[in-house]
Amino acid sequence: MPGVYFTTTEFLDDAKSAAKDRGMPGIRMIALPADTYYRSRSTQAELQPIAAAVFDQMVDDLVRPLTADEAKPSQIQKQHENTNIKVTGSDYQDAYQNVNDLFLDSRWADGLPIVPPTPVLVKAMLAATTRSPDEVVGQVAPKNGTATVEKIAVNSVMAGAKPEYFPVILAAMDGFVDKHFDLTHVQASTGSFTPVVIVNGPLAKELNFNSGIGMLGHGWRANSTVGRALRLSLLNIGQTWPAVNDMALTGRFEAYTFFTFAEDEAKSPWEPYHVALGYKPEDSTVTVATSGNPLVLGGGAVAPWTAQGILDTVAARTSNVVFGWVHSQTYILVLHPDCAYELGKLGYTRKSLQAWLYEHTSIPYEKLLAATSGFGHASEIDEINQSIADGRIRPDRAQIFKNALKPGGKVPIVQSPDDFHIVVAGGSPGYSLLFSYPGPNWANETKKITGATLTKAGH
Amino acid sequence: MKKQSNWLRAAALVCASLFLAGAAAAQVTLEVMNPRGEIPPPPTMGINARVSSLAGKKIVLVDNGKFGADNFLNVLAQILKQKYPDATIVMYPKPSAQTITDMPKWYPTVKQQGDLFIFGVGD
Repeated sequence: MPGVYFTTTEFLDDAKSAAKDRGMPGIRMIALPADTYYRSRSTQAELQPIAAAVFDQMVDDLVRPLTADEAKPSQIQKQHENTNIKVTGSDYQDAYQNVNDLFLDSRWADGLPIVPPTPVLVKAMLAATTRSPDEVVGQVAPKNGTATVEKIAVNSVMAGAKPEYFPVILAAMDGFVDKHFDLTHVQASTGSFTPVVIVNGPLAKELNFNSGIGMLGHGWRANSTVGRALRLSLLNIGQTWPAVNDMALTGRFEAYTFFTFAEDEAKSPWEPYHVALGYKPEDSTVTVATSGNPLVLGGGAVAPWTAQGILDTVAARTSNVVFGWVHSQTYILVLHPDCAYELGKLGYTRKSLQAWLYEHTSIPYEKLLAATSGFGHASEIDEINQSIADGRIRPDRAQIFKNALKPGGKVPIVQSPDDFHIVVAGGSPGYSLLFSYPGPNWANETKKITGATLTKAGH
Repeated sequence: MKKQSNWLRAAALVCASLFLAGAAAAQVTLEVMNPRGEIPPPPTMGINARVSSLAGKKIVLVDNGKFGADNFLNVLAQILKQKYPDATIVMYPKPSAQTITDMPKWYPTVKQQGDLFIFGVGD
């Protein structure tokens, strides 16, 4: 079926890149002028001259016979990326600088200097895992670059990670490339989402991950370089670049190291997060998810707060917004230790807390009826019905939603209470955080850390 | 005198060579590994043959759901109706939970409804 694709001048490179990635480089595209289209798109009257200006081109693109190359383009050839690179300098310092210039100018880095990934350093990184250098961990969106253990090691060296951290990085990459994780959306969306990386189990302590004051900030090598190794791996293996095929409009709030932290298991009144997911206490895990900027809850050191008040705020804020795609929603509620302690004292278990959140964030049917979707033209109710129909809301949960979509019903904002992930971390007195991701597909995976050779945990 | 001058020239040449050789020997080479993932190229496909004219055709306007796309496609639909009164215009709002990578889910419906399609506006 012949077609033509409208985009804007801002997204033309991205559109061409995506078309090539999917094997159709010849798709005929028309780029609307971004400087006028976005300002005019609210009304048809304002769009009239823009549409009129491109109309003849659109017709021509639909009727103009194909060129030979459009009809049968030559097969896109594989670019070989496995050859080592030799960089010279007048002395070591000069060569080091030249490596950095090469990597930064070639868009193989995040804009900050890197540690040159020499074979010796990469070998040392690889020695930290029993996993084979040639093992294919998976394909990294959006270009489906092949992530081998060795490629991830190269990027981990560049990030300045200690070899001991490497099994954590590998497990996180296992999560990102999982077939259930929508990495394309996370990597490329205009929504500017930032991955969340949570480390649990004895390895978190052994590697000195920060789970207290400043857990999302600078200063801890494990948090910073594990996050940066993932940043560089996704950038280089998935081959993304801002404004080319990473269209995060504002950039990401933790662009260089992501939201990387550990749970403060010792200060939690409940079993560790990974144990609640079914792992053994002696296992170490890494959870990867994604989020917009987190909602900050509580008064910190300067204002009064109560634990119940924090829960009430979560309920008020999440049930008062357009939520779009209920089938894929997860929330990560990071409670600071004092808040978790107070909730424990109030008698909450992790399960009962999840149940409370599930119930109190549900939206009255009548309120939903009046809401329009945050995306497209369908109503929220249409969106949910569509998700039931196409199986995105799991069959075992579908009836709950069908029952709720009636007068007097209360419609959950997640598929099940387990989609509220409760983690304890942060300073004292603290702020709690709510990470959420309004994406159309799932983006939350936990993986066990295995194969560690340099640490007591993580085997 | 001439002999001495030749000797001096030769000595200067030897010194210069030694200096250049020394400078060359001082070059440092760093071998580094490529951080980029290899991309298995997808099978490359051509695009579908065009139609000879839009007259009398069923034209599906696929609205990707982004803000303003409906307005833009509606304006296009109005112009199409003026210029091709015997064409059939079908507005198709793509289910928003289905992204471009879910094309196998929504494209068959589009194909069923028309002879050609116009997709917009990304982004």
